[in-house]
Amino acid sequence: MPAIRPLQNAGLEPEAAERATPSARTLPRGRLTLRRLPYLALLLFASVLFLYPFVWLISASLKPRTEVFDNSLLPHTWRWANYTDVWNYAPVLQWISNSVVVALTAAVTVTLSSALVAFGFAYFRFPLRNVLFGLVLATMMLPGAATMIPVYLIWHRVGLTGTQVPLWGQNLFGSAFYIFLLRQFFLGVPREYFEAARVDGCSFFGLFWRIALPLSRPALIVVLVFEIQASWTDLLRPLIYLQDPNLFTLPRGLKAVIDTFGNGGEQHWEIIMAASLIATVPLIALFALAQRHIMDGIASQGGRKG
Amino acid sequence: MTIDRRSFLFGASGVAALTLAGCGGVKSGGSKSGSSSSGGASSVTTQGFGKPDDVGQARIDAFKKAYPQVTVRINEGDFDPQQFLSSVASGNPTDLVYLERGLIGTYAAKGALQPLDDLISDVDIDTGQYRKPALKQVTVDDKVYGIPEFYNTRNILINGKALREAGMSPQDLSTTDWNKLHANAAKLFRASGSKISRIGFDPKLPEFLPLWAKGNGADLVNEDGSPNLDDPKIIEALTFAYSLIQEQGGWSKFKAFRDTWDIFGSGNEFVKNQAVAFPWEGWYVNVLVQSSPNLDLQSVQFTDRQGNPTSFCDGSAWAIPKGAKNTKAAVQWMKAMTATDTWLQAGAARAKTVEKNKSIFTGLWTANTEADHQVHDKYVKPSGRPGFDQAINNYYASTESAFAINPSKAGSEIKTAWTDAVNRVLAGQQGPEQALKQAQSEAAKAYSAVK
Amino acid sequence: MTRTFPARPAESPALPAADRPPGKPRRNRGEIRAAYGFLSPWIIGFVVFTAAPMVISLYLSFTDYDQINAPNYVGGENYRQLLQDPKVALALRNTLIYAVMYVPAAMAVALALAMVLNRVGRAAGFFRTVFYLPVMTPTVAAAALFLLLLNGQKGLINRSLALIGVHGPSWTTDSSWIKPGLALTMLWGLGGTVVIYLAALQQVPKDLYEAAQLDGAGSIARFRRITLPMISGALFFTMIVLTIHSLQMFDQAYTMFFGGQQNSTYANDAALFYVIYLFQQAFGVLHMGYASALAWLLFGIIILITAVQVRLSKRFVYYEGER
Repeated sequence: MPAIRPLQNAGLEPEAAERATPSARTLPRGRLTLRRLPYLALLLFASVLFLYPFVWLISASLKPRTEVFDNSLLPHTWRWANYTDVWNYAPVLQWISNSVVVALTAAVTVTLSSALVAFGFAYFRFPLRNVLFGLVLATMMLPGAATMIPVYLIWHRVGLTGTQVPLWGQNLFGSAFYIFLLRQFFLGVPREYFEAARVDGCSFFGLFWRIALPLSRPALIVVLVFEIQASWTDLLRPLIYLQDPNLFTLPRGLKAVIDTFGNGGEQHWEIIMAASLIATVPLIALFALAQRHIMDGIASQGGRKG
Repeated sequence: MTIDRRSFLFGASGVAALTLAGCGGVKSGGSKSGSSSSGGASSVTTQGFGKPDDVGQARIDAFKKAYPQVTVRINEGDFDPQQFLSSVASGNPTDLVYLERGLIGTYAAKGALQPLDDLISDVDIDTGQYRKPALKQVTVDDKVYGIPEFYNTRNILINGKALREAGMSPQDLSTTDWNKLHANAAKLFRASGSKISRIGFDPKLPEFLPLWAKGNGADLVNEDGSPNLDDPKIIEALTFAYSLIQEQGGWSKFKAFRDTWDIFGSGNEFVKNQAVAFPWEGWYVNVLVQSSPNLDLQSVQFTDRQGNPTSFCDGSAWAIPKGAKNTKAAVQWMKAMTATDTWLQAGAARAKTVEKNKSIFTGLWTANTEADHQVHDKYVKPSGRPGFDQAINNYYASTESAFAINPSKAGSEIKTAWTDAVNRVLAGQQGPEQALKQAQSEAAKAYSAVK
Repeated sequence: MTRTFPARPAESPALPAADRPPGKPRRNRGEIRAAYGFLSPWIIGFVVFTAAPMVISLYLSFTDYDQINAPNYVGGENYRQLLQDPKVALALRNTLIYAVMYVPAAMAVALALAMVLNRVGRAAGFFRTVFYLPVMTPTVAAAALFLLLLNGQKGLINRSLALIGVHGPSWTTDSSWIKPGLALTMLWGLGGTVVIYLAALQQVPKDLYEAAQLDGAGSIARFRRITLPMISGALFFTMIVLTIHSLQMFDQAYTMFFGGQQNSTYANDAALFYVIYLFQQAFGVLHMGYASALAWLLFGIIILITAVQVRLSKRFVYYEGER
């Protein structure tokens, strides 16, 4: 579960970016920089606090065991072999490819299904619409832990426990948060687009597929990225559903590495750090690629509307 | 502490020394047409075995040789109760599970393991070859549920250099005289302010509570399998062991300091003078001899308060989960992995490793009595490093006098109860008496539910 | 919430407008069928993965069920046991203490960072990214990392504290410091909240501040009378989300203190969170009936707390439209 998903009203209108820095244009520059200096210093300090753990992680993952706790910025002895050790001990490559497959499947399925449902709520008017949408919102509040056991038993009944299917299977049916998000976005698409298409004989599905979806690319990307992240970091479900180490996703595998090498055991922390870094890098890379979309999406969230 | 045997290699030569392929399974056999007794091609899967070391690999090879048409797949990773139970519950378990013998009673009572008697007579395993305490641990209601593999005992290992500097002898850290031990532990402990720099004597709580209890003449589990956790002698033993930790910085600092040790490396806690003494299993001698061959290792047998050597033994066993597909191959595996001949081959493999590393053969500690004796006679020789030799001899001596925790259908629950109790004491939440009384009532409840 | 577009055309009879006021039904069967077609994935999902599970869970909570043997009806026994189980009380206490510790801290720190970010113009974009990076770190990796950083004897955090003369506690082993240590770990990942607050702050009209300044309002008064009310929606939203997440704390605590044989040896009561106990009961010892009862208790507690928060928000949250 990601710490927080700060996206509600993903309007993504272009003014958002401009609004982000309103004062920059209204005040003379030189004076500003000076007045901002203490703030910048404060932020720099905070940034060090936020970034140093990464630096420490990278450094520790390259140290020999005895140096892990010396807290020096750079290893005295560079031990690249930590990475080959992880590789040799654990089927890391297999775990990475499992994670990639599960995360992509989860993201694509949930994006498509949620978009479909969201379009249903955004475009049509039908009996019980508000009741149903209220139910969608209500399920957002439902703690996952509450249905963990029966959902497990259902997957068990259809013989899919012990496989990766339960990690993404529910995504075929949409997810409340994304439905909400995408509905907001679809509501923002000018209605005459659809009407014009209807006049031209476009089917309802065509409206969705050829108009709503292409116009909503930024929102779809946000959903994709959020779901990839959620799936990539999920520990609880792999713990419940996967027993065969060859099927583990990265977090589950990393946990196995921690249990074997970590606490009170062999205490090969440097191996654990190397494995942690391996698990982290792909997400950071994804963030680098999709950063603009994520930040735009979040920035345009209407704070006042909560 | 229950580090598995794989640790042998990790400590000395690093994980990279393991030459097995990375993709999670050790695969072998396959389509070669075999004329072996087990019939057509089949496969056998395991969980909990971790990654095999030289000794493990030699025995796997022995199995493959005997049953060439059986494909072996070893799912890496230590035994994980949740993973195991989920696999049984989902009806798709591995053919074999490798777990601590103390857990077998609980899982047998739950119906998660199969009784093995019929299978054992099918492939003709002589259960008399296993050490009695080990066999007792895997027997529930007169049915055998597991085949014992290793046999670990505990003695006290000592940092000889630190000891000499303090002008003490190993006997000064004997567990016969608790007052003396307490005073000496305090003397050997070093700290400046809140930073600990050396632990004098680590009683190894919570895991070695059974040892301290036995040293005081009490068992955690009664002969009939019922819990005996609030025995005054056990309360006294915990009070004493806890006082050792209190004397040396208190648990939170003590544990945080210990978490930073490089237990398996060349900068281990003895080399770095971070510890003077603690009780530990025999396999740790092998770790030390490889990671720090020049260490001045001293040792003394764990004794009760009358001075009689005592040690508690445990170890792993092979068992077959309920719902396993290939029980025949599984029991063949059990037989092959624990047979005397197999152990001798493993001994030869270890001897080779030892020779290559110019190291010392420290013993295999198997639960097969005959094999253990033969391996000892054949490979354990004076090494010219008397400290290590002495330690090895101590463990061999303890092997004959060791006790096992009595088996119980609530073995796992009882263990959880006393472990949690000790942790509550360590965390300062409860006193020993209160904690063990609570543990006793928890354990008694679990026991009466399965009795 | 709905955004209105200026170019909304006059109603066309063939097409129902989404926002048409009720009472003017102009429905077309084909359209209703199509609508439900679009909704069908969610409806199926709701039935199979929400409604049915809740019914099953309710039933199981009245049974003794271990998945290996058939369920055995025991009446209210699980709920009775739950009231007496000291670990339930412990796990609840741990979870609530943690939530009370973490949620306000996260909101305060995030708001402080966002307010500073709001004063540095374009540079905010860069720092915002920096603060968001930890959010992209898998929880298990972050937990492993902080387990080392927080080590009481040699960890980076205590070494740093020592530089300013503070004796750091044993964050990972002292039961009274384990929850603060976990909160610290989680605070590292508060970037999402910062970004929300920053977005909210940027939407506060600047003229409000200018007017207040002319009226002689000090900076504290401006913060209390303008900033807080204007971003109260975002504050409320994050409070609810953070609270729900805190009450379901699992990944970090489980990674650091549970699972595997070594960890269970040193199991520390202080890190036993509710969902961890639920997980252990359900999948560790297969007490699925009892665990179902635990799940219902959690469900009730979350609903209760959320309801209280929503009620409170009615008093404090300022909605523009309600003026």
